[in-house]
Amino acid sequence: MSRIPEELKYTKTHEWFSVDAGVATIGISDYAQQQLTDIVYIDMPKPGDDKKIGDVLLTIESVKSAEDVYSPVNGKVIEINMELEKSPELVNEDPYKNWIVKIKLDDEKYNFLTAEEYKKYIGE
Amino acid sequence: MFKGEGGAFPMELKKGIPLRTALYNEHLKLNARMTNFHGWEMPLEYTKIVEEHMAVRRNVGIFDVSHMGDVIIEGNDANKFVDYIFPTKISDLNIGECTYTAFLDTDGKMIDDTIIYKLWDDKYFLIPNAANIERIINWLNKNSTGYSIKIINHSDEISHIAVQGPKTPEVLGEMKIEMPENFHFLLNNIQFLNPLLNENFMMVSGTGYTGERGVELIIPNEIAPSLWEKLLDIIKNYDGRPCGLGARDTLRMEKGMLLSGQDFNEDKTPYEASVSFIVNLNHEFIGREKLIENKNNFKIIFRGFILENKNIPRPGFKIYHNDDEIGYITSGSVSPILNTGIGLGYINKDFMKSNEPVYIKIRDKYVKAQISKPKLF
Repeated sequence: MSRIPEELKYTKTHEWFSVDAGVATIGISDYAQQQLTDIVYIDMPKPGDDKKIGDVLLTIESVKSAEDVYSPVNGKVIEINMELEKSPELVNEDPYKNWIVKIKLDDEKYNFLTAEEYKKYIGE
Repeated sequence: MFKGEGGAFPMELKKGIPLRTALYNEHLKLNARMTNFHGWEMPLEYTKIVEEHMAVRRNVGIFDVSHMGDVIIEGNDANKFVDYIFPTKISDLNIGECTYTAFLDTDGKMIDDTIIYKLWDDKYFLIPNAANIERIINWLNKNSTGYSIKIINHSDEISHIAVQGPKTPEVLGEMKIEMPENFHFLLNNIQFLNPLLNENFMMVSGTGYTGERGVELIIPNEIAPSLWEKLLDIIKNYDGRPCGLGARDTLRMEKGMLLSGQDFNEDKTPYEASVSFIVNLNHEFIGREKLIENKNNFKIIFRGFILENKNIPRPGFKIYHNDDEIGYITSGSVSPILNTGIGLGYINKDFMKSNEPVYIKIRDKYVKAQISKPKLF
């Protein structure tokens, strides 16, 4: 069983995000980090990059595979979690505390799954 | 996520009924994360791949590798036959010894690699890779015309538990099992018949796939669960761990050991795959003529690559020197020991000893790497 905090928004591609004052904070779900196994590297976007919904936002390398993380929102990357450059395994340890990027929203046109919907979606 | 580049371990079990080893329930008890490996439902990891990897390098780890094949070749012509099948002069082995070698096709390309044991004057035992058992049995049968031999597949009756790491001798000592020398095997009494030997013995083989001191215990399925549980109990005292196929893969990669089907797949000669030591041209064997040609004019060679960061080179990624494409990756990971990305693959032989950096194209970036012998440390 994986952890799915109630207050967050989720995607079918296993990202989570929360929106506060026009800024989305984005990470990957507990289910996603479990599937990936040991995360060893995160190929980060650059602050200033424009991302549309469904664009590849960044790539996570684990011992097992490399997986793309998709943008759940439209906007501009304004911050990346620098701590993860040195210690990407923090995402394995707590994927919700350790967000990966922040995006300043262009609009509010995002879709999402609620925690309950996401839980059903991954079959837990 | 999860549409990207896979490594050796696809995310989901394929449809259909998976094959399971005699230790399947032991893996479930340990809460292993299971994965599909060529149709076998095997443990990928019990805790974390990196932790299991380090346990083997520092202490000891145990692995279920029962998916590997078990084939006996015996009969009056067994010596002649194995010499004909393999590029290595197998009949030179003494009873109690084993060696690494490969099956070659008539073009001298490696079909599969194996350890082969001399059990008796006219009896050999070999261990094809899980994905190739049928292919190898067919290959042996096809080439056996005129030889007085029997080829017997015992793969369904035999389990293999690998005990690997510097503390292996102590672990075996607690079970009163003697440690064999590398590439030798010893026999130990057990309660069940081992169909490979027709005696109540386990084979204790001084071999492995991690580059560490270790053994592989080759046993009848009946005793596999109890032996596994006993080993689990003992290795706790040595900071040991059960290890999955994930750690097995990263351990073999650091040591530059080939993975059949991934680092070669009936497309490379032993010279190209950097295992020329298996070739003895002074006897007749399948593929010999082509190997004589290949020896002096092969163009690519298997090498290791140490990257400047933790990007992982995946199979198929291209290797560049200046603007020239000079090779490609066949295996890649992050090395827990070197703490950086590593790869294995083939490059233009002219660069074999080059100290100049090369660049591996990883998605849209060129990541700097140093060429190394396949054995990376």
